[in-house]
Amino acid sequence: MSSVAIVVYTLGLLFFGWHRILAYLRYFQQEEYSATRFWAWIREKRAFDRRGLCVATITTLLTYFTTTPTALLLVAALGSLAFVGIARFIEEDPRTSGKIRLTMTQRATKIAQVSFIVFFGLSFVWMLCACPTCHAASQSYDPFQTVAQLSIILVMLPPALLMVANLLLSPAERSLQQSFLNDAKRILAEVDPFVIGITGSYGKTGAKAALGELLTQCLGPTFWPKKSINTVMGITRTIRETMRPYHKYAVIEMGAYNIGSIKRLCDFTPPRASLVTAVGIMHLERFGSPENVYRAKSEIAQALPEDGILVCNGDSPNARRMASEHARQTTLLYGLDRSAGHLDCFASDISFDDKGTRFVIHWRGSQYPGRTPLLGRPALSNALGAFTMACALGADPAYAVACMANLEPVDNRLVLDRKPAVSFLRDAYNSNPTGFAAALEVLKTLPATQRVVMTPGMIELGDQQFSENRRLASEAAHVANLIIVVGSANREAILAGLGDAGFSKDATILVDSRDEAFSVIQSRCGAGSLVLIENDLGDLHEGRVRF
Amino acid sequence: MTKRIRVAVLFGGRSVEHEISVISALQLMLAIDPERYDVTPVYIAPSGKWYTGAALLDRGLYRSVPGSLARLQEVTLLPKPGVGGLTKIGGPVDMAKQALHFESEIIPIDIFLPVFHGQYGEDGCIQGLFELANVPYTGSNVPASAITMNKYLCKMYLRQHGVPVLPAISVHRAEAIRDIQKAATWIRSQEGFSSFPLFVKPCNLGSSIGVSRVSEAADLAPALAKVFRYDTTALIEPCVSNLMEINVSIRDSDGVHASVVEIPVSQSGVLSYEEKYLRDGGKKSGPSQGMASLTRVIDPPDLDTAIRDRVIELGRRSFALLGCSGVARLDFILDLSSGELYFNELNAFPGSCSFYLWARSQPRVLYTQLIDDMIETALRTFAINATLDRDIGLKALK
Repeated sequence: MSSVAIVVYTLGLLFFGWHRILAYLRYFQQEEYSATRFWAWIREKRAFDRRGLCVATITTLLTYFTTTPTALLLVAALGSLAFVGIARFIEEDPRTSGKIRLTMTQRATKIAQVSFIVFFGLSFVWMLCACPTCHAASQSYDPFQTVAQLSIILVMLPPALLMVANLLLSPAERSLQQSFLNDAKRILAEVDPFVIGITGSYGKTGAKAALGELLTQCLGPTFWPKKSINTVMGITRTIRETMRPYHKYAVIEMGAYNIGSIKRLCDFTPPRASLVTAVGIMHLERFGSPENVYRAKSEIAQALPEDGILVCNGDSPNARRMASEHARQTTLLYGLDRSAGHLDCFASDISFDDKGTRFVIHWRGSQYPGRTPLLGRPALSNALGAFTMACALGADPAYAVACMANLEPVDNRLVLDRKPAVSFLRDAYNSNPTGFAAALEVLKTLPATQRVVMTPGMIELGDQQFSENRRLASEAAHVANLIIVVGSANREAILAGLGDAGFSKDATILVDSRDEAFSVIQSRCGAGSLVLIENDLGDLHEGRVRF
Repeated sequence: MTKRIRVAVLFGGRSVEHEISVISALQLMLAIDPERYDVTPVYIAPSGKWYTGAALLDRGLYRSVPGSLARLQEVTLLPKPGVGGLTKIGGPVDMAKQALHFESEIIPIDIFLPVFHGQYGEDGCIQGLFELANVPYTGSNVPASAITMNKYLCKMYLRQHGVPVLPAISVHRAEAIRDIQKAATWIRSQEGFSSFPLFVKPCNLGSSIGVSRVSEAADLAPALAKVFRYDTTALIEPCVSNLMEINVSIRDSDGVHASVVEIPVSQSGVLSYEEKYLRDGGKKSGPSQGMASLTRVIDPPDLDTAIRDRVIELGRRSFALLGCSGVARLDFILDLSSGELYFNELNAFPGSCSFYLWARSQPRVLYTQLIDDMIETALRTFAINATLDRDIGLKALK
């Protein structure tokens, strides 16, 4: 009877284990398979298994009160059912639900499989050790009890298993990546497009899309990886899948994850022109100091040949500094604010309405009135950077301005969603102080009966995180009638900022998740309300994680 | 029972109207008479690859393209006469299956039924392939398809034959990119184009994609730039502000026949892609039925019979002048201020095959019958063409 109990219980445990592996893998993937970052996240969020631990512990305790084999079997079956129930019915499948889903890439599949094999192996070995035949002589304890006790340890293992599996697979993964990389290099050499590198603490994805579109329309077929693909492996994959012999230009977004990462990208796809959208304080935690951020970003200018083209955002002091320290044959500054110094290209007469942004571009002695469906100053700044680069490469400025009217917003970066009841202004991607302030400006300008800000605040701002969140919360207080603070990441800073501005406590609502925030909006916002969703953190940083 | 005719229904394609084609084809395959025809669905993916398989009848498959294509058999039509059908290509060759069923690498097809909207399918491209392969196919032939797809050429040709059309001018992408302001100034200097509003549309596209109604000078350049995302030629027309659209479907089957007329209803003055193909401007859930679900008035009882007769008369004439075949839909514009009627465009393969118009016509023609007639006409045309003597022997090389 004990053997049957062990088998029944172990089956439930295995089922649970597989689901746990997938659930953790989703976050491991979001942390880009970095064991250090994953472990830091687990500790920060205390994302240890609680539900599995509960089931294992209760089952173990129950075995102490069980005397008959039938009761033992019942306990085992209950434990097994609880495992299956949690995995199957209480928790969601990370592959099909959640904000950032688990994508079963080849790498993810392999890691999941290896982790499960180890999990299965351990369960099996322990089951064998506890097997009645091994303890035929000893009647002092029940073998099922041993299995239950050991399962307490087993349920805690999946995160560790993932890291181990990743380590085991890394040599094979590296050689596979190397072969992909070589293939991409061969394609690049054959196609030989004119490469334009883009970097910036923010705005680079928007600028990339705008530049890709302007170059395609004005000058010729242009290759650019969609979304925010900006790593060597991401670019490798896109080159292998979508680069074609007719591509004349390639716009490559280069992400700075640490010092040297842009240099690696520049070695891979050597740029002949570079666009720097901003050098700010984003991801300060990774770099240590603003000076290091500057050094990391400067690699994109250093990589340019002497006759290269460097286009920098003059509104960002450090991008301006880069233009002077690494000047090339053609060095151009663009911007929206002429108070900071000379600009080769700037926009004036900026206004916002439901159809987007209107402006007048000043370039080489001429004025070009235009409009774009993109909303807000940051989007206009990115489009202006793209415009400057396109013109530097030979596009007709008037045609480039005409094309700006047909740009499409990049996902969730200040997009207006007008509805008869409540309208939304979504600025959901990686919020930063400049973007936040610009979103508030748009929120203030557009017509609405009630203005609402829903935000978890900004993250990855190092030691300025508290002060920046406090400052912008206080700015938000001057624009919004209702402020919904999501999660706990920046709750104190935001509340402090709202306090500074004397914002009404009744109009400040604290919620744990975005779902809760939406139900608040449903109940408190009347027709004609405009809700700014500022920042929508991944599950990684959301207030609660439950396992 | 006579042997069923093996029909390949081709749809999808490398066109912006890809989805609409899928909707039209799924409708058509539901309506086709299974007792008379053995249907082989052939889906041309956006990549341009051809696939066949029973799974193509399931609407859900198209949501997960390209992943779901793995379940299908890749095929092609070789551009040489005498193959007898579609040639299977790629994929693992199932030796056992072949041995058991003596399955050949050819899927036999008697006639091809293209259900495409827009480029590569409705513009003579695929028709050219059918001609090269020397297979019967439904609908218009190469020159008729090509000229009706190019809105500018079509208008100029019909105007030459006395069919009234609105003035139109065209601008090429290369000129505009060189100097957009010059192009805009040139447009404004043409007679009848100095005042707004103007319509700016892609010359070779249907479905209202890339169309703008320009009401001020500042919007002309952006509108042209929008067109050049989709097409290399822009068509500019004056905008009749007080207008009514009147459409009629024309088909040939033992003579040329006209359907009842329809008046499509639009909220914004110009039918958008969403209005044409997504119910409720794309907001409502539930599968779209394409053109068949558009808000419209079919056979409006209060329409002046003189106008109705003129639409039908001009429709039949244009259809014949252009040398069309199968089922076409012709769109006319009635200037409500002047009472003038203008030919606007011709769809060589209209959305939903205009079945909803024929179902209300006298005599009533149901979709199944419509398809029957299309196939019969095509087979007859093919037989006639086959009698043409192309073999004049060697003379110059002798």
